[in-house]
Amino acid sequence: MNTELTPTVNSNPIQIGKILCVSTIVAILLGVGLGFVFLKNQQFAIGEQIRKTERKIQQIHAENEVLLAKVTELTSRPALQARVKSGYITVVNITSDKIARLTPPVQATEDGILRTAFNEASRQ
Amino acid sequence: MKFTANTRIGIACGIAASIFTLFSARLIHLHIAKHDEYSRLAAKKHSIRQVIQARRGMILDRNGEILATNLPVRTVTADASRMKKPEALAKLAAKYLGMDEKEILEKFCTGKKYIVLKREVPEETAVTLWNAMQEQNLRGLYLEQDAIRIYPNGEVLGHVLGFLNHEGKGVQGIELSMHDQMAGKDGYRYIERDRTGREIVLYRGVEEQPEHGKNVRLTIDMGLQSIVEEELDAAFKEYNPETANAVLVDPKTGAILAMACRPCFNPNEPGKAGPEQMKNRTILDMVEPGSTFKIVVASGAMNEGKVDEKTSIFCENGRFLYGGKILKDHHGYGNMDVHQILVKSSNIGSAKLALMMGGDKFYEYVRRFGFGERLGVELPGEIPGLVHPPARWDKLTITRMPMGHSIAVTPLQITMGMSVIANGGRLMAPRIVQSVETEGGEITMKKNPIVMREVIPEKTARFIGEALVGVTEPGGTAAFARVNGFQVAGKTGTAQKVSPTGGYAAGKYVVSFVGFMPAEDPRFVLLVMLDDAKIPTNINYGGLIAAPIFSRIAERVARQLDLAPTMPAIPFQPTPMASTTTTEERSN
Repeated sequence: MNTELTPTVNSNPIQIGKILCVSTIVAILLGVGLGFVFLKNQQFAIGEQIRKTERKIQQIHAENEVLLAKVTELTSRPALQARVKSGYITVVNITSDKIARLTPPVQATEDGILRTAFNEASRQ
Repeated sequence: MKFTANTRIGIACGIAASIFTLFSARLIHLHIAKHDEYSRLAAKKHSIRQVIQARRGMILDRNGEILATNLPVRTVTADASRMKKPEALAKLAAKYLGMDEKEILEKFCTGKKYIVLKREVPEETAVTLWNAMQEQNLRGLYLEQDAIRIYPNGEVLGHVLGFLNHEGKGVQGIELSMHDQMAGKDGYRYIERDRTGREIVLYRGVEEQPEHGKNVRLTIDMGLQSIVEEELDAAFKEYNPETANAVLVDPKTGAILAMACRPCFNPNEPGKAGPEQMKNRTILDMVEPGSTFKIVVASGAMNEGKVDEKTSIFCENGRFLYGGKILKDHHGYGNMDVHQILVKSSNIGSAKLALMMGGDKFYEYVRRFGFGERLGVELPGEIPGLVHPPARWDKLTITRMPMGHSIAVTPLQITMGMSVIANGGRLMAPRIVQSVETEGGEITMKKNPIVMREVIPEKTARFIGEALVGVTEPGGTAAFARVNGFQVAGKTGTAQKVSPTGGYAAGKYVVSFVGFMPAEDPRFVLLVMLDDAKIPTNINYGGLIAAPIFSRIAERVARQLDLAPTMPAIPFQPTPMASTTTTEERSN
C-alpha cells in the first residue's frame, strides 16, 4: 500500500495559547485604558462637585456676612435709639443694686435764676 | 554592488531606528530638559490667576461693639467671547441689575473678554441673577467677590474711624493709620477654564490662601461716645458755633474714651461731605487756649519754688503796665495766692508768676506739658501746635502766654495737659488703639499706657487740682460746671479768635472748659470747646457756655461709669453775669 499517495495536509494550526496571551494583553491594555478614562471622568465629576460645594460654602459665607452686617446695623446705637424714641421697643428698668444713685440736680426753674444752659431741664 | 535582502532590511530598519531615536531624543529633551519652560508657556496660555480676596478687619470699641465692618457685594462682569445668546443675556442682566438693555448689548457687541457691567451688586441680587442664568442655560456672565465698608453708627465717631477710597485703601482716621493691620493679604489660585468658562478643578495650579485682616479694638467706649455726641449735638444746635469739640480721656492711662467734633460727616457717604466737615479738629485744629493754660504757669512756679501755697502776689488792682501795654483783669484784685489766682483766673497774677519763673523756665514747662509737640495718638495728621521759643518772643509774650495767648495748641493737647494735673503729674501718651486681634480674638498687639514724662511732682499736681476744685465752687469762674454728688476740678478758657487776616476777630471767641471728676480720684478728664458761638457777647464765656455742657456730659458719664457720689447735694450758686470786656479782660 502506497502510503505516499495521501498528501500531507499543509495546515496552519490555531495557536490558542498565543491568541489567549495576546487577547489577555489587549484586554489588560483595554481595561487599563478604560480604567484610566473612567478614573479621569470620575476625577472631573469630583472636581465639579468640589467646585459646586466651594461655591455653596462661599455663598453661605457671604450670606452669613450680609446677615452679620444687617444685625450690626439693626443693633447699632442710632438704630436702637430711634426705635426707643418711636416706642417700638421699651427700656426695662435696671435692678436697684445696679443703680448709682446721684443726688437730684437742682433745676433752673426751682431757684428762679436764668441760666444759659443747665442740665436736662434747661432744654425744655 | 548588490545588497542582499537581509542587508536591505537591515539598512531600512537602521534608518527607521535612527529617525525614531532622533524623535525620541527630541521628545525626551522637550519633556525633561525643557519641561519648566514649556509648562510656563502652556500655563500662560491657559491658566488664569484668580485672586482670593482677603477680608478687611473690623474696628471695634473697647467692649467689642462693631464700629466698622464689611458687607459682601458682587461685581458683575461679562466675557463676550463665551456668550451664546447675547440678546437673551442682555435682557436678563438688564432685568436684575436695573440697567438699560441696549447699553448692555452694546457692551457685549465689543467682543471684549472682560466687561464690567455693574459694581456693588447686593449678594441676593447677584445670586438670583446667577440662578436665572443657569435656568435659561445662558453663559458669559461672572460674579466677582467684592465688599463695601459700612459704619453702622453713621456720623457717630466718623472723624475717628475715617473711610476708604474706591480702591479699598484708608483715607482718614483709623482706616488710614491702621490700614496695614486691617487690610490683610489677598491670596491667589491658578485655574483653567473649559470652553463654557467653568473652572476645571482637576487642573488647579499653585494656590495661596488669603491672610485676612486683623480687627482693631479702640479705647473708645461707645456708651460714653454717644453721650458726648448727643450733648455736643444739642450744644451745636443751641449755640450754632463754627466748630465744637469734646474729648474724654482716662487720665491714668491716656486712653481716649470719647472724641467728637462738629461739624461732622457720615463715613458711609464721604462724597457728600466737604473737607471742613471731615476735619478731626481735636488733633488738626490749633487754637489759643485762653485761661485753661494758666495751670501750666501755676504748676511751673510752684514746682520751681518761686512761690508756695502761701505766697502772696499783688495783682495791681486789675491794671498792670508791662512792656508799654496795660494788662487787665476781669475784676480788680489786690493780693492773691496761687490758689486764688487760679480760682479767679487772674491774668495779672499768671503773668507775674511767669515773670518770676523767667522766659526759659516757663517755656520749659510749656514743653514739658506736651504743648508744641505731637503726642503720638494713633490718628493721622496730628499737628504739634505752635509754641515759639523764648528767642522769638517779643516783650509782651511772657505776660500773654501764661493766660493762653501767643500760643496755639490742639484740643487734645489741652486735655492731656489737664490729665497731668489729674493723674499726679505724669504726661501720658494719648491712645486710641487698645489692641489688634485676629479674627479668632487672639491679641497680636496690645498697646499699654505710656508715661511720656514726669512733668511735676504729685504734691504740686494735688495742690493745683485742689485750686481747680475752687474754680467750680461758688465764687469760681465755672460754678456751672458742677455736678451734684461729685467734686469737680477744672478751668475755663475764653480766648478771642485769631483772625485769618491777622490780629483778633472782633466779637468772636473760642470758649472752653476742661476739667476732671471726681476731683479726689479722677476717672476722666473732659474738654468741651466751642468756637464762635452765636450768642450775645456778654454771655460768651467758657464758664457760662462750655461749663454747663461739661456738667451735663459729666453727670451722664458718671452714671455710665457707675461712679458712687461722694458729696452731698449743694444748692447751686450762680456766677455773676459777665459784661462786655476787652480781649485781655476776657481771658478767664
